[in-house]
Amino acid sequence: MIEIRLHGRGGQGAVTASRIIAAAAFEDGLYSQAIPMYGTERRGAPLTAYVRIDNVRVRERELVHTPDYSICFDEFISMNQTIANSMKPGGIVLANSKFKPEELPLAGDIKIACVDATGIAIKHLGRPITNTAILGAFCKLCPEVSLKGVEKAIYKYFPGRVGDMNVAAARASYEQVTDLITAKNKEPPKQVEEIVSGGYGALKDVSGWRVFEPVIDEEKCIGCKTCWIYCPEAALEWTANNKPAMISRACKGCGVCANECPVKAIEMVRVQVKK
Amino acid sequence: MSERMTRAQVPLEEGIIFPGSTCQGCGAAMAARLTFKVMGPNVIRHGIPCCPDQSSKSPSTGSVFEGAGPSLTGTSRALKALGRTDIKAVGFFGDGGVYDISFGGLMAAAQRNENALVICKDNEAYMNTGGQHSGGTPKYAETTTDQVGPNSRGNKFHKIRAAFAFAALGVPYIATASVAFPEDLMAKVKYAKDIEGFRVILIQTPCPVGWRFDPAKTIEVARSAVQSGMWPLYEIENGSTFKLNYKPKELKPITEYLKPQARFRHMTETEINEMQTYTNQRWEEVLRADEAKRLTF
Repeated sequence: MIEIRLHGRGGQGAVTASRIIAAAAFEDGLYSQAIPMYGTERRGAPLTAYVRIDNVRVRERELVHTPDYSICFDEFISMNQTIANSMKPGGIVLANSKFKPEELPLAGDIKIACVDATGIAIKHLGRPITNTAILGAFCKLCPEVSLKGVEKAIYKYFPGRVGDMNVAAARASYEQVTDLITAKNKEPPKQVEEIVSGGYGALKDVSGWRVFEPVIDEEKCIGCKTCWIYCPEAALEWTANNKPAMISRACKGCGVCANECPVKAIEMVRVQVKK
Repeated sequence: MSERMTRAQVPLEEGIIFPGSTCQGCGAAMAARLTFKVMGPNVIRHGIPCCPDQSSKSPSTGSVFEGAGPSLTGTSRALKALGRTDIKAVGFFGDGGVYDISFGGLMAAAQRNENALVICKDNEAYMNTGGQHSGGTPKYAETTTDQVGPNSRGNKFHKIRAAFAFAALGVPYIATASVAFPEDLMAKVKYAKDIEGFRVILIQTPCPVGWRFDPAKTIEVARSAVQSGMWPLYEIENGSTFKLNYKPKELKPITEYLKPQARFRHMTETEINEMQTYTNQRWEEVLRADEAKRLTF
């Protein structure tokens, strides 16, 4: 039996991806099941989903605890050790990252491969919905799931033109995925427990939610406060020199400020993930 | 009636603890931020199950879905008994609560004219649970419970005009507002918070996930709803005095509002014309009421 764990954020289509993998395995004549982990499935919030594939009927109904494969849909979560934790020995981690697999800070008895799914998704779909863009890469790593089956399953979920775009993204990532490398560190570094500031609170940090962030051109800005008043998160601070400034901890990257600016002084720029 | 507010008068201080747990480009988060900017610190906020918008700095309490009216009644009467008239009981509810599940309790509280302010963030469906249809859903909108197929064209019913339902009870103050007109919204909240009696403010808050449009276009969608007459901005005092706050010379076609939203994508020309006729008729009604400065039933 193969067990797969998917890490993503709401809106990236991790739950749809789990269904597509299960449907693709079914198309190839195997038994499969997809399990979404329900919680705060808000757009932008981290979530997990699980898939089981077997050549006999799958009787288990539990969440996956020790997966063979771990797939990460988000660039920021890809830099986090959680995606490589509690894997089966020799398990495979597929991360969405622009970096080379050896540059990722992941440790354990695992193999790592990378693909720039966000870039592929923006190119083929026009939006950073990375689910189908990473599935192509997954087909290359997992012999049980074929690209043909995945394409068939994608058309089942996205018929017509949207399906064509998603299949193009899957094919591109099938081509672009890096080779598997074995992780250098076997033992993950001991992590210092940080103050947990999930849910609500003045410490909460949502800087990892955004794919694009506002960059303010102070020359062009006329100080009309339009961006400031429309920001849903109060993420634009009104500074003393009558100009807005982004509060990095609070901005979710929705783009309302850039869309409403009367002089187009705000531009949404893709966030660069730091090593 | 509320007094006009300018952008310079908008307080810089925030009344919320940001960032919240909302989706990107959330209209309800904008509504909460703007509301609690002018609400001041002496507020007890009441909630019933709804999308988690911004948590405010004021104390807050929660109740069951049908408990909006009773919980506000309890707090306002307790405050009266304690002699703390400086503290306001404020409810911040979703459209599922105000238009559907809590409707009866709120109607009873309105009839008794309890001293409470009800603010409804209307995102036109039960967006917290995945977008099931509510009393606030407009006709032909696709929701997870009215999916478009061979035998279904989306929601079958027109949106409840809850403002007129409350007006029929003659409550002191009712207003509609939109996140695209923040000064107007804040002026209404500022005016309503100091009135004695039952007050209602209905705020239309677009939901990018449920209405299926790009999160950056939240304000654009909210603005086109007002400009096309789908969501007129008005105030009603004591169930009769009527004032229309936004009166364009000419309404925009409703297609400007419908087009960016994928929930209306399936609509045929006949259906759009039907909606246009319905919207024009309702707009004529509010125009007539505005001219007479009186709402007649």
